Amino acid sequence: MKKPGFILCAALCVALTGCNNQASNQTDTQAAAPTGSPSAAPAGKGVIGVSLLTMTNPFFKEIGDAIDDEAKKAGYSTTITAGELDAAKQRDQVNDFIVKKVSAIVLCPCDSKAVGTAIQAANKAGIPVFTADIANLDKTAKVVTHIATDNYAGGKLAAKGMIEALNGKGKIAIISHPEVESGMMRTKGFKEVIAGDKGIKIVAELPGNGDRALSFKVAQDILEKNPDLDGIFAINDPSALGVVAALEKVSRVGKVKIIGFDGQKEAKQAIKEGKIFADSIQFPDKIGRTTVQAITKYLSGEKVEPQILIPTSLYHKAEAEKDPALK
Amino acid sequence: MRSSFKSVAGQFFSSYGMLGVLLILCAYFTVTTYRDEPTTGRAGAVALAKQLPGGARIVIVAQNGPDEDEFVAALRDELKTRGFPSPEIVQGDPPTVREKLEALAKSATPPTVAAASPTCHEWPLFDAVKKAVPALANLDVRSPQAGRSSAFLSSSNLSNIADQTAVIAIIAIGMTMVIITGGIDLSVGSLLALSAVATAWLIGAWGGADASSGAMLFAALSAILLATLVGAFSALMITVFNIPPFIATLAMMQVASGLAFIVTKGQSLYDIPPSFTWLGRGTGLFGLPNSVLLMFALYVLAHFLMTRTVVGRHIYAVGGNAQAARYGGINVKRILAFAYVVSGFVAGLGGVITASQLKAGAPTYGVGYELYVIAAAVVGGTSLSGGEGRIFGTLIGAFIIAVIRNGMNLMNVESYTQKVVLGLVILGAVLLDRLRRQRRA
Repeated sequence: MKKPGFILCAALCVALTGCNNQASNQTDTQAAAPTGSPSAAPAGKGVIGVSLLTMTNPFFKEIGDAIDDEAKKAGYSTTITAGELDAAKQRDQVNDFIVKKVSAIVLCPCDSKAVGTAIQAANKAGIPVFTADIANLDKTAKVVTHIATDNYAGGKLAAKGMIEALNGKGKIAIISHPEVESGMMRTKGFKEVIAGDKGIKIVAELPGNGDRALSFKVAQDILEKNPDLDGIFAINDPSALGVVAALEKVSRVGKVKIIGFDGQKEAKQAIKEGKIFADSIQFPDKIGRTTVQAITKYLSGEKVEPQILIPTSLYHKAEAEKDPALK
Repeated sequence: MRSSFKSVAGQFFSSYGMLGVLLILCAYFTVTTYRDEPTTGRAGAVALAKQLPGGARIVIVAQNGPDEDEFVAALRDELKTRGFPSPEIVQGDPPTVREKLEALAKSATPPTVAAASPTCHEWPLFDAVKKAVPALANLDVRSPQAGRSSAFLSSSNLSNIADQTAVIAIIAIGMTMVIITGGIDLSVGSLLALSAVATAWLIGAWGGADASSGAMLFAALSAILLATLVGAFSALMITVFNIPPFIATLAMMQVASGLAFIVTKGQSLYDIPPSFTWLGRGTGLFGLPNSVLLMFALYVLAHFLMTRTVVGRHIYAVGGNAQAARYGGINVKRILAFAYVVSGFVAGLGGVITASQLKAGAPTYGVGYELYVIAAAVVGGTSLSGGEGRIFGTLIGAFIIAVIRNGMNLMNVESYTQKVVLGLVILGAVLLDRLRRQRRA
């Protein structure tokens, strides 16, 4: 009994010591600061605790990496974790941040409503909370600012891309996602610009719920009913890729112009291959950097807007061909 | 009396070798998270007051929060007894603090020394203010001297760990019984989600944000009953139709999760009154969270059940050798069914606690919890071959996992490495179990 126990302890210690080395690298900036002196010497600026939605989605990974990089430049150290879609796990991570007395917390909520209790705990401890990409919808919890893509303007931009693709004339359809705020805003912006263009007519609008498989089916139905369709606006990349699959099935890829939204790598590749006409792309890197800048601004005592929107830009085949990230 | 205590304690330590592992882990994290940390609250204020130059015009700067209030009040009293002129007080979030400081700068006698709470001292605010406001350019910013303390071994963190482990540990009670019978229950994570969703849904249906305590209690009990019934259904499949527990509970895992998604249409339900968080976030005796108190109470109860009752002895007997137990006159099916029903019950309770902690119910809760729960039982010394295990061993196992997770978070270990370490710990525990078995054989 005793001997195996000892082996386990030893193994544990070795494993943990390994972690420690890594950890100490991360916290160097803070440890090196002269904490003992009570004078005006600037101490380490402290830690920014981050809990992302998930690390498996490259979009959030990029937000996390950008926060890490920008924070180091500004003199903070970071702890980057992810709730992995589990609201309870995210709450635990926030509680750990509170115990650690971090200077600020950045969240991409796993659940816009359930995240409220975690934010309230941070509020109570006086730690400012910032949300990136996904907003907090619990009104009793206080967030300093929300940094996200400007979906409304992005939708307008997508419409401009559509007008460009069709030379201002044709019949189009929208694969929407009306239950989600971001999807709604994209569709709203898109329709407003299209309404100002007399040559383009929206003949169908059906929900694809941002899901590739469902959008594939919906697109097939739309194409069946409107054989003379000229273009489709899909409110995100999975939907757009679902539409591509539907067009491939009836051999009309490239003939029906698709405008997507997001800028995921697979969609960019499809743009390069001419399957999607253009994407209104988001900038996770910029979301991350802007978040850190907002933290510094707030902790310096400046007023911060309750919402900071990051504009999208239109990404065509020309941009895709110059993109070093694509094959 | 004294000697019996001694023998009980001796038995406890020899039986729970994992307690040693837990203590070593705690000691390890206590040491590694030791760091210079500014003294907060009253102690910090007293220390700071001693260093402030006499006759200076002082402004106390702090943010909001209980620690900060204490700091401000203590410092003000301390300055008064030391004969300082009465200080200005600036308290609030960074923009408020800055605004008030700038207003003070315009007065006839701007402050010369800022006595800042440790948190405020970290803000880049003072540098910014000194640059922007000439009247404060020479402001001497002081903050309490740092003392050595461990982030891990603080009362707030220990309570935090207990709070984080409560749900896993409670569900692990049922899992321990199931594993001792030689079975396994994979449905607990989904049952947690189903119960959380059912609670939130019923509260929403019975008054929503204005629901009465009675309605909330009834909703919680109904949800637990639902989870218990699903557990009973698994038990039925296992005992009457002889479906292997792994398959039966795997199927129920899918069914329960699917039901949770159907009830909520994949959304989270949050139409719940704030008072519902009493169970998950309220504190009771010794300032411990109510969920933690409940966890300890259930463990004492389960320990009693497993060691002092006939049912408990039969559970061990069935797991040790079902055939022999049957010949010995034990109703094996009834004992097996009992274990799965308890497992469903505690998973349902876990769901109610989770819904209370998060003030919402969503079908995505509890994903992967079955593995943590099984790990807690196994790390705590329960043998996957059945017949062996201790309830308090499982509690220790749950704490070992929680301490490792928390400690690694405090040490800034990123989440990929955390997975590797956790996996190795579970593997190590099973290895230990094997070696022990071989030695005895």
